[in-house]
Amino acid sequence: MNKRIVIKSILWAFVSAGLVLAVARFFLGLGATTALSDDAPWGLWIAFDVMGGVALAAGGFVIAATVYIFHLEKYRPILRPAVLTAFLGYVAVVVGLQFDLGLPWRIWHAMIYWQHHSVLFEVAWCVMLYLTVLALEFAPVALEHPFLQWPILQRIHKLLKFLTIPLVIAGIMLSTLHQSSLGSLFLIMPYRLHPLWYTPIIPALFFVSAIGLGLMMVTLEAFVSSWLFDHKPKIELLSGLGRAASVVLFLYILVRFTDLTVRGQLGFLAEGSWQSLLFFFENAVSALIPAILLSNKKWRSRPDILLSCAIMVVFGMVLNRLDVGIAAIQKSPGYAYFPTWMEIGTSLSIVAAAALAYIFCAENFRLFIDEKHEEKSPEALRYEKPQFDVPSQAWLGDAFARNFSVFSIVAVLTIAFTAAILPSRALSRYEAKDVPVQAAQGWDILKIDGNRTGEYVLFDHKDHIARLQVTYGEREGCIKCHHARLPKDGPGRCGVCHSDMYKPKSNFDHAYHQSILLGNKSCAQCHPEGISKSKETAKVCSECHRAMFEHIDVKEPDYYIARGYVDAMHDLCIPCHTEQSKILGRKKLAQCAACHANPPGPAGAALNIENADELPRK
Amino acid sequence: MHDMLQFARGPLFRLAFLVMALGLLRLVILALWGIGQMIYRARDHNNPYSKIVKTTLTWLIPIQRLHRIRPWLSYSSFLFHMGLIVTPIFLLDHIHLWRASIGISWPGIPKTAADALTLLVLAAGILLIGIRIFNPYTRRVSGFMDYFLVLLILFIFSTGFIASRPYNPIPYETSMLIHVLSADLILLLAPFTKIAHCVLFPLVRMTSELAWKFPPEAGKDAAIQVHGEVKPI
Repeated sequence: MNKRIVIKSILWAFVSAGLVLAVARFFLGLGATTALSDDAPWGLWIAFDVMGGVALAAGGFVIAATVYIFHLEKYRPILRPAVLTAFLGYVAVVVGLQFDLGLPWRIWHAMIYWQHHSVLFEVAWCVMLYLTVLALEFAPVALEHPFLQWPILQRIHKLLKFLTIPLVIAGIMLSTLHQSSLGSLFLIMPYRLHPLWYTPIIPALFFVSAIGLGLMMVTLEAFVSSWLFDHKPKIELLSGLGRAASVVLFLYILVRFTDLTVRGQLGFLAEGSWQSLLFFFENAVSALIPAILLSNKKWRSRPDILLSCAIMVVFGMVLNRLDVGIAAIQKSPGYAYFPTWMEIGTSLSIVAAAALAYIFCAENFRLFIDEKHEEKSPEALRYEKPQFDVPSQAWLGDAFARNFSVFSIVAVLTIAFTAAILPSRALSRYEAKDVPVQAAQGWDILKIDGNRTGEYVLFDHKDHIARLQVTYGEREGCIKCHHARLPKDGPGRCGVCHSDMYKPKSNFDHAYHQSILLGNKSCAQCHPEGISKSKETAKVCSECHRAMFEHIDVKEPDYYIARGYVDAMHDLCIPCHTEQSKILGRKKLAQCAACHANPPGPAGAALNIENADELPRK
Repeated sequence: MHDMLQFARGPLFRLAFLVMALGLLRLVILALWGIGQMIYRARDHNNPYSKIVKTTLTWLIPIQRLHRIRPWLSYSSFLFHMGLIVTPIFLLDHIHLWRASIGISWPGIPKTAADALTLLVLAAGILLIGIRIFNPYTRRVSGFMDYFLVLLILFIFSTGFIASRPYNPIPYETSMLIHVLSADLILLLAPFTKIAHCVLFPLVRMTSELAWKFPPEAGKDAAIQVHGEVKPI
């Protein structure tokens, strides 16, 4: 079989497995599919898909600068593949980011809600703008296709060709900003990132390494596509790239070790810990060995050495991003992060999809400008000789049907297999753990901290009684909050029914009711005769416990399930605070910090709410 | 035993069901694409489509034409298919499994009706195999798969029937495991064997209906395709 069909089948297998994983991730959530936690909120999808993907795309701006800015016309044949790789790399980054974001439909927020102090703000804008620039840089290639020869598209084509130089300059600027700003993200965690990797100049390191990686990525991609499309790699041209890469990689090593020396962290190298070994391995593979090999003219003219250098640099620099993003980050005691196979599979499937898109472009557009390219007109396709299956004499169909029949069977089998091996936790929504509520402490001022994290809310009970009784009256003021009460008890404590911090809990004790109503004979007191006995058909609580529900507005609990404590409290406090903040014209009253003060203070204290005493009070 | 049953009902069933659903979908797409290519290459824009669709749909009603020639085959095959389609989909036990796993459900048929349909399928299936063996024409064109698939279906129905009885002679979980495993097998086989006729039948009929309606000149285009110029083949 044709090698391209085999490769494409393998890629389709990854992509279709990724489709299943995408369904699991987007319908059932991050908890169901990833090993991420509060302690490791950034995992493989950030380290590999985003940081690695952006770095691998660096070839685009490097080659564009070489050809358009430095006018080294010799490198023009690899310009189009390099720009395409960069474009697809950035598309892969954006897709990978969608998987990682908790609320992916809010990705556009960075455009509207500006937060100038955040590095992520710069990252977001760089990704958006550079993706656009790359799309515009690659568009002229696509617009050469015979199917796209409409007049309006051709006018756009001309305009884009006219704008090439400004676009290239914009691309270089945005890349410079973006490659380094991904490093800047780690400037805020000097105590979490291991000292061998953490440095104040990490943005510069990211930028320099991206240039070396970009050059080698272009080399690797030239070798792969020459193998895939049966043309000879231009060794002379690629060894020129190798020479440049050698300089850049030497510079990278030099800067890195000088930085370690200046910061006085060289001691960690002799430590013998796995981090120090990883550091040596990473630097040897990603920079030192390739730089030495490529510095010799004789060596870098050999395809095998050139190819192995390219593989080493690509592997090593991606490893560097994985180290910074995952491995070198110190976890809190008791936490560990290793990506699930679903995270790894998703990442691979995104890469596979990008590779398929690359092959599609190579087959349909003039990607390699000095290779001959045959155009088939629709009329020629109509009279293409049919192919027949030899044993059965059945018509194999046209090109689409032939390809589809192979790739779709691969896809069907992989989708079914992936869906079959999904772990049970990926098939059901992530479930919160039981966190029993502990009663609030205090009398006039209550310390509300149900989950015992120390981040309590100070609730000025006395103050609230005073204010509510002014507004709603002596009794109504109390039952505004204490809507239910237990038999023979006064106003009940919230945590008695809302007994779990996050999960709704049943608050009906069937066995207890059965025992005090004298056993099995008592069924009919709640369950009417003649219809099946269930929660739905039983009497509602208030039919017997008339005094239990003080406030008529409070709806009957849904089948005796009380909401989780956090939800119940928020439902109670927020509407009232929102209403009062509008009436009194005080925005701060409805803000989170009105109650969740840091450090905790009495709610309504002057610390958080201006002119608190103007609120109604008895 | 319990774990094996859970495996056969869970991962293995997911695999088999998806292979069946997506595999059949793939065949439908290929068949539709083939029909489209046929029309495109024949350059014929005057097909009597309404008539073609009408004939195709008429062929879907099983006891209209064949019953005059081979009534036993026609009626037993119709009853076999009826039971085969209705019982697994509308059996309450199966609906309960769907509801328990992905939370969707639909109205089912009463247990007695399901039992009756099962027995009907068993009887009709035995009759079909008998016709296949004792009719010399059908016997000659029958291969291994033609017997195997019908027997497999009968096996699934009988194990399901036995497993749901209170006087089941074999342990419940064993009989259920056999039932589920053989059902998984037939789902897996569906897109690769003649069971695919469940979706391909109307499309194949439509292909031949279309092909009959091509104009006399269509042969010329075929000649051009094969030889590159107009000359007798």
